[in-house]
Amino acid sequence: MEEPSEELEPLFDYSRIQPIDFVYLDDDCSNSNTLAETKRKRQPDVNPAVEKVKTSSEVVQVPDDDEKEEDWLPPPPKRPANNVELNGDSTLQELRLKKKELASFAQSVEEVLREVEEAARREVISSAKPAPGLKEETESKGKETRQKVVISIQDMDGLKSFRMYMDDKFEKLFKLYSEKVDTTLEKLVFLFDGDKVNPSATPQTLDMENEDIIEVHRKAI
Amino acid sequence: MSGGIARGRLAEERKAWRKNHPHGFVAKPETLPDGSVNLMVWQCTIPGKAGTDWEGGYFPITLHFTEDYPSKPPKCKFPQGFFHPNVYPSGTVCLSILNEDSGWRPAITVKQILVGIQDLLDQPNPADPAQTDGYHLFIQEPAEYKRRVRQQAKQYPPQI
Repeated sequence: MEEPSEELEPLFDYSRIQPIDFVYLDDDCSNSNTLAETKRKRQPDVNPAVEKVKTSSEVVQVPDDDEKEEDWLPPPPKRPANNVELNGDSTLQELRLKKKELASFAQSVEEVLREVEEAARREVISSAKPAPGLKEETESKGKETRQKVVISIQDMDGLKSFRMYMDDKFEKLFKLYSEKVDTTLEKLVFLFDGDKVNPSATPQTLDMENEDIIEVHRKAI
Repeated sequence: MSGGIARGRLAEERKAWRKNHPHGFVAKPETLPDGSVNLMVWQCTIPGKAGTDWEGGYFPITLHFTEDYPSKPPKCKFPQGFFHPNVYPSGTVCLSILNEDSGWRPAITVKQILVGIQDLLDQPNPADPAQTDGYHLFIQEPAEYKRRVRQQAKQYPPQI
């Protein structure tokens, strides 16, 4: 029972904000040298700092870098251990601070974006609502703020997508489609949810959403 | 609790269906007389596959979901007396993917159910008969079976 607990001990110390250990354990990690680890565990009180720094410098010189940290790790060995700790510690802290700053920045940006989106949506809804009697006027005036949807027309072979306004009548779309597939409107039937679509209906009156599909069938006469 | 799950999933299914479904199929929750929508019962249409004796028919089928959906499959019903070896006299479809104890998985979508039933129309499973009429003709009198299928397709013309 004693051995494992002893082996666990240093690990706990390390994670329990002991800056010294933290930095040096990092060294171990970047070396990924099991020898160094076992050494440290067996003689934890013999000035581990110096020892490990040495081993790390030795190992670093031989193999290639396997982690980014080594960019700033190699220099320390030459200096006194105390400085190393301070350096490592402060850079870490700086990095952490920066990370926090960035995170909060990102969050605030998200919030702003959301607000803008919501505001835009509110505008669109309120501008899209005007009574049907006024439609002709809004069509020319409010083109910028009216809500657009993509409606797809599906035949046996596939989909064709069209962009239209929520309060556009389907007449236009159907005519455009019939020209595109080189036939006349009389030969086509348009269905949404199994129901025939009235040419005077609009996406709004049918409660349609972006990317909803309308099926087209050819009359079998 | 589970009712919330069922309704949530059905709302998703509905949304997905409106944006993408196979041509000729219809699937929508029933609308009650008061204008409200009942997500638990869907009125659907399955078109007979082109190139088969079922072609030209648009077969109405009702999907009855329970509060246990999607843990349990919906009950799928054609009109009573529907002619097909794997349809019970009540109209209920007998199909492995619709059987809680065999092929059903919660991930199966409404689209997959309807397409699966469309496949079943022209490919009955003689190992699992559900009505005598359809089964016997299918096994013993292929010509008469064919005639009945075509006749039934004419009974359900497109609704346009």
